[in-house]
Amino acid sequence: MNIFAASGKLEVLAAYFKIILTYRGMLLIHGLRLLLLPMVLASAWLSIEKTPGNPYGDSDYLLYYLLVPLIMNLTDSRIVFKFSLAVKDGSLNRDLLKPFPPLLGYLLESIANNALQLVYLIPFSFAFWLFVRDRIVLTHLQPSLLLFFLIAIIVGWLARLVVSGSIALFSFWIEDVTTLNLVLNGGIWALLGGMIVPVATFPEKIRYIAGLLPYRYMLSFPIEIFSGRLSTAEIYQGFVTAIMWIVLFSVIMRIIWKSGLKTYTAYGG
Amino acid sequence: MPDMNEQPQKYVILTHALNREFKVRQKTEGLAASIRNFFAPDYKTVNAVNQLEMQIGQGEIVGFLGPNGAGKTTTLKMLSGLLVPTSGTIEVLGHTPFSRNHNFLRSISLVMGQKQNLWWDLPPIETFAIHRRIYGLSDQEYNERIRELVEMLEIADCLETQTRKLSLGQRMRCELAVSLLHQPKILFLDEPTIGLDILMQKKIRNFLLDYHRRFKPAILLTSHYMDDVAALAQRVIVIDHGTKVFDGYLSDLTHKLHPEKIVSVVLNNGEFACKPEEGCRLIHQDGQHYRFLVERNRVPEIAAKLYATGNIADLTIEDPPLEDLIGQLFKSETRNS
Repeated sequence: MNIFAASGKLEVLAAYFKIILTYRGMLLIHGLRLLLLPMVLASAWLSIEKTPGNPYGDSDYLLYYLLVPLIMNLTDSRIVFKFSLAVKDGSLNRDLLKPFPPLLGYLLESIANNALQLVYLIPFSFAFWLFVRDRIVLTHLQPSLLLFFLIAIIVGWLARLVVSGSIALFSFWIEDVTTLNLVLNGGIWALLGGMIVPVATFPEKIRYIAGLLPYRYMLSFPIEIFSGRLSTAEIYQGFVTAIMWIVLFSVIMRIIWKSGLKTYTAYGG
Repeated sequence: MPDMNEQPQKYVILTHALNREFKVRQKTEGLAASIRNFFAPDYKTVNAVNQLEMQIGQGEIVGFLGPNGAGKTTTLKMLSGLLVPTSGTIEVLGHTPFSRNHNFLRSISLVMGQKQNLWWDLPPIETFAIHRRIYGLSDQEYNERIRELVEMLEIADCLETQTRKLSLGQRMRCELAVSLLHQPKILFLDEPTIGLDILMQKKIRNFLLDYHRRFKPAILLTSHYMDDVAALAQRVIVIDHGTKVFDGYLSDLTHKLHPEKIVSVVLNNGEFACKPEEGCRLIHQDGQHYRFLVERNRVPEIAAKLYATGNIADLTIEDPPLEDLIGQLFKSETRNS
């Protein structure tokens, strides 16, 4: 399955853009989903009294939750829902019968979806930034840091895609993988990925565990880089850990895919 | 295999001892059974396809018949690479389908219902454009084929409407167009006219005949509408409970199962007597309208006799409906097994 050599990648990517643009309402709903929870969490963290050991002040929380919706969106993946649906309704057949790598479609769909969400998220984030800009310090931002930030987003996106993809592929055996996803991906990701609480504010032991798991790299890590909280060595260390997870889950995905296809019964008889 | 395949010819589909088993979970009625089943699930192995031997030559149209659950769709899925056989071998255009080699996928098409190939949320023209790139068609090839298919299938008016908003007939025609855009060497058609009205069924059949005449793909067709099979396929393979029970010319099947023809006659007046010892028996009479079953070799004789009366308003001679023949075949197979 050579995803780089496949013909028609751009047309399939364009098709996903067209589909998403067809359903404007859904785009808005997903935009709201990405905005609401971080806004609520930001308000909560700003309104409570901070413990003495907490390295985050109000301005840190503001910057953190200003970036959360953007990073959440850019590393988002809906492969779990889409793939399980394709197995159930048989539309996976369509993909399997084309001379086009079936899983590449989900990667392209993710790119289209995440890019189009920015239509809502960038103006919102910009407006939010204008509102709080006096309280946010960005003087530390250097081109090299911004480059690391962008690479971390791509790495985070890939990490989320392969972890979610591995769970999605269990649809070959399990009727409903969304619950499995909620346990293995959604819940742990929200906690150890830094959505509910910034990872940097965890006690040291939990921070250490979060650093070993892939979830931090899907959300918190790019924001930590942008906030200037990580040394260059820590950034490289983070990249190495994340890439190891990506490689591991890519191999897992491949194994599950090959094995799953053998048990795939499609629909009808 | 039928005689027609004894002459040397290039087979594009070859299967040997093909089997496909499914494990199906079983549960008897009641809560206690549900609880028992939760802790110790009970499975039954179903042999969906059993020792199937199939050889189909280049450019052949073969009707693949069988009752519901006979294993037709399972076979099509194995031949197209969607399912892995439990045992046995398959070779389609020299490829093992399940390896899903891209050259193999470029040479086949499977049409299974109206939701197989079209992108549901986009107009058909967008799917065509995507296919053009995926299958690597040149501008000239694409333009020529689109023009031909749009004309043959009469779909010009629905190309730019979102697929989900098209009628069943429009969708099916667009589905066929997109499936044929890359001019497959083998076309697997699973119930291509299901749910369509009679006019649309006829339109699709005529299109398939016309397309086959022009491009000569091998076609393996399953359909519950025997008119489809009679119009398109000379050869039929019949399976029941996963096992092949007939492979040969449709006419041979008719002769084998029904050594009689149906003679329908409308007389102007009077009566016509038909004697069993003359190889003829009356099966229906409504006023001056008679229907007889006549032994095939006695048909000319009986027809001549009828004409000799000089009293005929109308006379038709036909084979029994294919549905009846197939039904009869399945019944006899069930009895034998």
